[in-house]
Amino acid sequence: MHGAAPAVSLASPVIPTETPIRPTRTANDEDLRLARSCATGDTGVFEEIYRTHGDRMKSIAYNHLGNVSDAEDAVQETFLKVHRAASTYNGESAFGTWLYRVLINTCYDALRRRQRRIQEAPMDDVITTERAGSSVDDAKRMTLRKMLNGLPEQRRSVFLLFEVEGLTHAEIAQVLNITEGNSKWILFATKKQLQEQWKNMS
Amino acid sequence: MEGDAFSLEMAGKHASGCQACAAKLASWNEISTVAQGMQTTWQNDMLWPRIQRSIRAEKRHAQSKWWQIAAAVVMLAGLGVFAWKANERVRTDQFDQRILQASALDAVEKAEKAHLAAIDSLEKSAQLKLEEASTPLLVSYKEKLMLLDDAIAECQANIDRNRENAHLRKQLLAIYSEKQRTLQQVLREGNHVSNQ
Repeated sequence: MHGAAPAVSLASPVIPTETPIRPTRTANDEDLRLARSCATGDTGVFEEIYRTHGDRMKSIAYNHLGNVSDAEDAVQETFLKVHRAASTYNGESAFGTWLYRVLINTCYDALRRRQRRIQEAPMDDVITTERAGSSVDDAKRMTLRKMLNGLPEQRRSVFLLFEVEGLTHAEIAQVLNITEGNSKWILFATKKQLQEQWKNMS
Repeated sequence: MEGDAFSLEMAGKHASGCQACAAKLASWNEISTVAQGMQTTWQNDMLWPRIQRSIRAEKRHAQSKWWQIAAAVVMLAGLGVFAWKANERVRTDQFDQRILQASALDAVEKAEKAHLAAIDSLEKSAQLKLEEASTPLLVSYKEKLMLLDDAIAECQANIDRNRENAHLRKQLLAIYSEKQRTLQQVLREGNHVSNQ
């Protein structure tokens, strides 16, 4: 987990971020209650979920889709899918993890639809707030975004969930339906690939 | 490198004595640093109401779908009951019709038996006169009665094969009537010969 600063002081130290709300590893009674209420269409519960996970959902969707409008559509569609499929939630993973899995699948669907339309989605110029690392050069972030856009879906998701959203490999494994070891390996390979590109670009 | 604190610490320890690895680790960490700056959020007060509206619409749609399914089920059940009732009625009518036919047939056969018994009794009375047939007329009556008996036997055999054939029954009745008239004529002729 990168939430804590590395042990060594390096040229670009990791900037501690606001502690994100984490999805729990296993389902508990609260998760099952949420799922049951979602199945009945209790909007109060949906609002509770939105308040708890909304910001992270928007961030995940934005970093996958690259613009605010599509990200908001994906978040909305995710809530509808959760309403439809809540009765199938079996408690194998935490409700939050399941929610992010639905969101990421929705983002993949949106990306595939976009590819079919063969349209370049322009990066949105809506004013967004970068939660942390505001001191980091915007140009670097843009560069990293472009590099991420060239990655396969799964690699991009592992990188974004670990490095940007701060999920653990165990949680990523549940979200992406892969093993924990696989998540670690994908992150390593992705960072190595990005490092090469980063070096070339700088 | 798995990205956890332990592996980063180990890498850091190694990098402190190795410039090449230190540079690599620096760029490695820089990517993480830049990535953390990518966590993005924005305020849109319209988003939640939009989601809420869509969930409500979805819920209404789902409810109306259930009502439609329920209505379809009720309609199908109604049609099923109607079809079953209609079928029952047809079957009952057919059954009643069969009973009526059977009872009508029984009545006809009963009447035939009574008629036959009457003709048999008439035949017994005429039998003596026919055996002693002394006039050409009585002889011809006797031959006619033999022909009628053959015709009755043939007609009866056909009726046994097809009990419900009304035409054969009418034909048989006509033959019996003819036999009855012939026997009456035999008796009249016999009485006339005796008187002479």
